[in-house]
Amino acid sequence: MEFESDSDFTTSYFADLGGEEALTPTLVREAALALRRNRREFLDWRSTGNMIRALAKVGENWRDPDYRFRRLVLEKGPKETGFSRQTLERGLATFFDQLTKENLEALISQEFGHLRRLDGMSTNKEERFSDRSALATGPELIVHICSGTLPNPTLASMVSGLLVGSSQFIKCSRGASFIPRAFAHSIYEEEPKMGACFEIAEWAGGAAQFEDPLFEEASCVTATGSDETIRSIRERLPLAVRFLGYGHKLSLAFVAQDMLDGFLASETLHNAALDIAAWDQRGCLSPQVIYVEKGGTVAPSVFAKQLAEELDKLEKKQPRAELTPEEAAEIANRRAIYELRAADSGETRLWQSEGSTHWTVVFESDPQWQYSCGNRFVYVKEIADANEVLRNLEPVREFLSTVGLAAPEERLEELATAFGRFGATRVCPLGRMQSPPITWRHDGQPALANLVTWTDWEQ
Amino acid sequence: MNPTDPFSEIGARIGGFIDEHTTRPASDADFNRLALDLFALQFQHNGPFQRLCRARGAEPDCVDHWTRIPAMPAAAFKEWEVTSLPADRRSRVFHSSGTTEQTPSRHWHDDESLALYESSLKPGFARAVLGGETRVRHQIGLLTPSEEDAPNSSLVHMFAVVKETFGDPDSTWLGATGEDRAWIPDPARLATFLERSVVEELPVILLGTAFLFVHLLDLLEGTDHRFTLPAGSKVMETGGYKGRSREMPREELHRLIGYRLGVGPERIVREYGMSELSSQAYANAQPSGPPPPAEGGEASLSQLSTSDSPARRSPAKAAQLFHFPPWARARIVSPETGAEVAEGETGLIQIHDLANLRSVATIRTEDLGIRRGEGFELLGRSAQAEPRGCSRMTN
Repeated sequence: MEFESDSDFTTSYFADLGGEEALTPTLVREAALALRRNRREFLDWRSTGNMIRALAKVGENWRDPDYRFRRLVLEKGPKETGFSRQTLERGLATFFDQLTKENLEALISQEFGHLRRLDGMSTNKEERFSDRSALATGPELIVHICSGTLPNPTLASMVSGLLVGSSQFIKCSRGASFIPRAFAHSIYEEEPKMGACFEIAEWAGGAAQFEDPLFEEASCVTATGSDETIRSIRERLPLAVRFLGYGHKLSLAFVAQDMLDGFLASETLHNAALDIAAWDQRGCLSPQVIYVEKGGTVAPSVFAKQLAEELDKLEKKQPRAELTPEEAAEIANRRAIYELRAADSGETRLWQSEGSTHWTVVFESDPQWQYSCGNRFVYVKEIADANEVLRNLEPVREFLSTVGLAAPEERLEELATAFGRFGATRVCPLGRMQSPPITWRHDGQPALANLVTWTDWEQ
Repeated sequence: MNPTDPFSEIGARIGGFIDEHTTRPASDADFNRLALDLFALQFQHNGPFQRLCRARGAEPDCVDHWTRIPAMPAAAFKEWEVTSLPADRRSRVFHSSGTTEQTPSRHWHDDESLALYESSLKPGFARAVLGGETRVRHQIGLLTPSEEDAPNSSLVHMFAVVKETFGDPDSTWLGATGEDRAWIPDPARLATFLERSVVEELPVILLGTAFLFVHLLDLLEGTDHRFTLPAGSKVMETGGYKGRSREMPREELHRLIGYRLGVGPERIVREYGMSELSSQAYANAQPSGPPPPAEGGEASLSQLSTSDSPARRSPAKAAQLFHFPPWARARIVSPETGAEVAEGETGLIQIHDLANLRSVATIRTEDLGIRRGEGFELLGRSAQAEPRGCSRMTN
């Protein structure tokens, strides 16, 4: 799929033309130099307000059901990304619904305490008191090394980079550039000069012949990926290059006993199913385990059974991606063992889609943390209370990202604080785990502030 | 044989079946009759298997074909005692080979089931590796540690039986157990064995796991040694790596075996077996049949393809096909639906091994394969897919 073939675009990104076979180290280095030049010409003079206006317009475009890039992504996306049209539609909406002027301004204020920090010397109250001003400057060239096929983290990185006025080289995993390219082209269509500050390419991670020249030209490198990927990139970077690494994380949900009954139950189940189905449970923010509190009128195992029914209903509305044989085999292998355990004792129960691997619910009375294999394979575990959850998370504590909560209003703050103190970097209502706001502090890090360099001016 | 023991009786029938079909194929009806009788017995005497069948609603009185017998996941051998042998009759146990695994598979035998295992492995090996030449003794070098050093390895037991049955007096163990019980080749014994073969112009047969061959090749490369083993020499390699040496693509391994040992790919046989089975599949180097047509789509789409998994990639050349002997049948089943896949499609390898007397005959492996005619192409362990998401799946 080449974007320029069906339009009058005057640009094309590397990945529009093919994978790494279309690239040479020289081409990559030249692209990096061109990006630096384009930044000086096209971004340097732009105010934050100007940037926000353009991005908000792009967001508005994408929210229009008839917008041609949106239609293109929903029509061709299933084949390009593997995700079903409905999964893409829901998933992309969580990003583009956020891309508004108000939200982007809120993001700048949250990060810099002042809307014009990036435009020139500005002074806040504390600084005025000591006769100081300050200026924040984004990196000239950010290189994003993106892993996996979930588009939203990449789109969010692209917006962040633009907001701090940086040119960006986006390295996607093989087969994962389709939506980032569509987004870049949609920016190009709105503001060609901004669109010219992106380059997007695909190659198998670790290809030193491309990455080394790129790293030499970069001012800042961000990377998502496995521990091994992050470590390897960090080791290969020149000392002066700023590095932001985001390792793979895990997320879970906690359902309080009061949420299992009557109307609350149907909402809880629906929200849990939405979180499991979002991006087919492949994201860091997707729940792998749902801890359900014991002691209520409804047993956690009953919740598990109802969740299975809910996932079955949702499968019809929002089908899961087709899997590779390896991925399907991972589910089949796990199911085989849980089927035997379920036949062996009531401590384990298994519900699964008939004749497919579309969804799987494993109930275990054993509260020990268990990694899921994703693709809508979820564990439901019964638990005495939140403290017992924390005890069972101890072995994976350092990797904890999001906790989705379903609990009565009066318990929320206490639970959020407990999970936060333990190390969770995000607590949100169940049903919104895969929809972080644009102001989200990714893995507990500042959303933008880590990208910039400050200049303090003492008058 | 103990005539009052139903396992003895059916074991004898299976032994007869093996003898009868050593060189000629078995009819489905004959295979089925024996498989169903064995199923009835295993259902009755094997607790975990019985529970699995009950959960599936597949009990002996409603199953009329061996393909409908529930398959025991190979991984179940780690967690349950998948055996009909009472504790006091278990004279031998084979463990799965992974050194890093905390709980290995356990496959128990008594003297009778072990004898059946041996009577299954001998004709299979004789046919695939010796080309049926059993009148003369062969000089066999075994890269693994000896049976005294690795008493719980089914592979080493197989090698011991092979050495005893087909080997000449100079046949010998060439491996040792190193630190943390890992298997390594013994450089001194290896050098003696290879040098003597070359000097005396005696063809040899080298048997070992793929990772032991990698170790061997590394040793030879380290000392920059090359041997040209005499014509007629053969290599049989088996198994994966499981982190015990650097991994090497098969073509590269075979090329280097040719370069360092002078044994060409046409004389390298691959074996596929596991501790949960009692029969082995073999693939020899003869390319079987034309390569399958490339998978659909015009070339331009491949640039944007979301998957580059081995399972989807079309083989560039005819792949080596594995075949079990007639008393064990492999089916390639869809991980998605559990049904047998169509010709040329990928699925999990499931084996119905009549020689698995005391455990369960139908074993679902975690290996992926492609169904090709009566055989299959081995893709290997299924959990090697690069994750497509960003979620942490392991510590």
